[in-house]
Amino acid sequence: MLSRVQFGDTAAFHILWPLMSIGFAFYMLAMESAWLYTKKEHYYRQLRFWTKIFVLTFAMGTASGIPLQFEFGTNWARFSAASGDFFGNILGFESTVAFALEAAFLAVLVFGWRRVPRAAHLFANAMVFVGATLSAFWIMAANSWMQIPTGIVMEGGKVVVTDYAAAILNPGTIVSFLHMWVACVETTLFMMTGICAWVLLRNTAAFDVRQFFLDAFKYSLALLFVLAPFQIVLGDISGQIIAKYQPAKLAAAELHWDTNTEGGAPWQIVAWPKEGGGGNSLSLAIPNGLSLLVARTPDGTVAGLNDFAPEDRPSVANDIFVFYSFRVMVAIGFWLFFLMALGAWYWRRGRLVVEGIAQRRTFLKLWIFSIPLGFIATEAGWMVREIGRQPWVIYHLMRTSEGVSPNLNAAVVATTTVIFTTLYIVFGVLFIYFTYRIIVKGPDLTSPVP
Amino acid sequence: MTITDPTLATIWFGIICFEVALYVLLDGADLGIGMLTLFPQKEEGRSLMMKTVGPIWDANETWLVIAAGTLFGAFPLAYAIILNALYIPVMIILFGLILRAIAFEFHEYSQHKHLWSAVFGWGSLLAVVGQGCAAGGLLSGILVENGQFAGDPFDWITPITIFIAVGIVFSYVVVGYAYLIKKTDYQLHKESFMRVLQAGAATFVAFLAATIFLPEKHYVFFERWTVEPTRSMLFAIAALIAVVGMLLALRTYHRVHPQGLHALSLAVFVLGFLGLVIGVYPYLAPPSLTIFDAAASPTTLRFMLWGIGPLIPIICAYNWYIYRVFKRDLSGEHSEGYRA
Repeated sequence: MLSRVQFGDTAAFHILWPLMSIGFAFYMLAMESAWLYTKKEHYYRQLRFWTKIFVLTFAMGTASGIPLQFEFGTNWARFSAASGDFFGNILGFESTVAFALEAAFLAVLVFGWRRVPRAAHLFANAMVFVGATLSAFWIMAANSWMQIPTGIVMEGGKVVVTDYAAAILNPGTIVSFLHMWVACVETTLFMMTGICAWVLLRNTAAFDVRQFFLDAFKYSLALLFVLAPFQIVLGDISGQIIAKYQPAKLAAAELHWDTNTEGGAPWQIVAWPKEGGGGNSLSLAIPNGLSLLVARTPDGTVAGLNDFAPEDRPSVANDIFVFYSFRVMVAIGFWLFFLMALGAWYWRRGRLVVEGIAQRRTFLKLWIFSIPLGFIATEAGWMVREIGRQPWVIYHLMRTSEGVSPNLNAAVVATTTVIFTTLYIVFGVLFIYFTYRIIVKGPDLTSPVP
Repeated sequence: MTITDPTLATIWFGIICFEVALYVLLDGADLGIGMLTLFPQKEEGRSLMMKTVGPIWDANETWLVIAAGTLFGAFPLAYAIILNALYIPVMIILFGLILRAIAFEFHEYSQHKHLWSAVFGWGSLLAVVGQGCAAGGLLSGILVENGQFAGDPFDWITPITIFIAVGIVFSYVVVGYAYLIKKTDYQLHKESFMRVLQAGAATFVAFLAATIFLPEKHYVFFERWTVEPTRSMLFAIAALIAVVGMLLALRTYHRVHPQGLHALSLAVFVLGFLGLVIGVYPYLAPPSLTIFDAAASPTTLRFMLWGIGPLIPIICAYNWYIYRVFKRDLSGEHSEGYRA
């Protein structure tokens, strides 16, 4: 249990940073390409300014990611020994194919100005982006396989791979990867737009600087125009896959207890299970909603939690947690979509100009308020994914309790968990502080362009 | 039981050794420089040291991640047992690396530079001590029963561990100094050469003690020194280490070819590491776990060999390119590209 706390704790913190690394890398690559293509200087300024924050997120990502890789061995020794044939292999690919590429070319991206030609710099930028993206791909492949373990057989308690293609590209991999990748970029872009809105609302910076942040706001908005609706579609497809391969997780996320035999299953807006489970004591629902979502017909059958043995599905406390995490994620997804649409409408009406934007206070405040929402949605999504999987570490093949390391001293694990948490809180606060300083200082708009 | 193909396992053992060696050679200098920042000096000196490792430490640390990733893939059982047993040293390494990485970036943006260079130095020291404890714990032996770690989380604390930890700390200091002498105007400072000699002597004594005590602890090591063919190999390596070590000491003392000290210190490292590999092969965790016990299935090893094998030269190639980009002397140069 302690190992679960430690892993959950360190993983939840870690995911914040590569999320931003991927998002910023995407934006930076877009800016550098635009700069080299159009030769317009303001794209170059965008690139240089956001790189500063990217570097911080990358350092945090590396620092918090390496412990995760080692925790598989230190805390989950039996899981690692059993699943190493596939799982270790995939992490090996992640570090060699993706992380090495990203870390090496980062040096050129950050320090390489004037040392390498422009084209080589663009190449380095692209490699950092590709590395970050591939990293997400391999991690999602490994995680999806834990959810839907295809392409393997269990022999004497150990995983033996029979079909690599089936194991890596299992039914969940591509959609989970895309869902996560878009979440990364979308969350980062909403953070950026929120930051820009804050600078514009504050209205103390020079005209050029406000123009710079308004430009960043518009570029991000343009990218979000594509991504925000796409994310909702991806979320729906993810739901379909869970319904097919992990019906117990879906039932938990919906607090859906009894399989509907006649009539459609309702979609619960608010619900609370009875003590000990088995049904809901409180429920406010849209009739036939769940059937429509899952089966695409008003009275399609959706398996309920009572169909699964209690020891094979998440506990009642976990059900509640998964249920509300799921609602938080979905609500934020739609809210961000609405906000993007509002921004697009303002843009179309010609309201996004430096003169007068500071007077649109409510509009700007909505964006500032939305800075943390993408992060909350991503964390909530992971909660649904990981807690909804319980009590299994490899779905229906290995229980979480069977994966933990033997002979671990509880006091030792507790101590290191406390140290990790303390360090992470301190660094998280410092990150916000340094980012704040970078933003207040503003972009350098005068240094010579290389 | 799965059948393990001995050749494949040996190839993967070689690849992992190569990765670990590269990590030690490259990041050893960064960590050594990190520890050197702890000596009393002006803040500009520390900033120069940090600037020297700035563009490369991240890529160097990657080799640790790669080595861990491939160990997990190729020898999952060893990954599980070793990290399980060395929980505490591994956590020490991780805390050290976290502190170093964060301090590095915050140093750049902060107004309280001395605070962050101190965190950088202590983080580096912590990471190195952790590595020493892990290596020592591994060589001291891990209790394995039924394919699981069966000992206590504090088993790694042995006299051998202490010798090895001390040796690793001082050896990294030597490489760190040699790297600074090569890259910056440290070659003008007389005392840096004296410190290289002192740290080198400490390294020698510590590792010699560990080498003498190891055969006492496990018969495996005793056999390596007494039975052919490893006997002549080990004695040949010991002789080479003596020759190269003497050359290093003499050149340091007389301060000839200061640029070449770095290469010489790396040569000693490579020889020492080679000796270690000959000493432990085919064990991953002597004296209980061999590479053949711990290997993944032959299908996986083959798949990884075709998937990851060709990448390693590619990774080396682009890392080499990046080293060349940043080859120019950094000491006189203003930090264009970082702040602007």
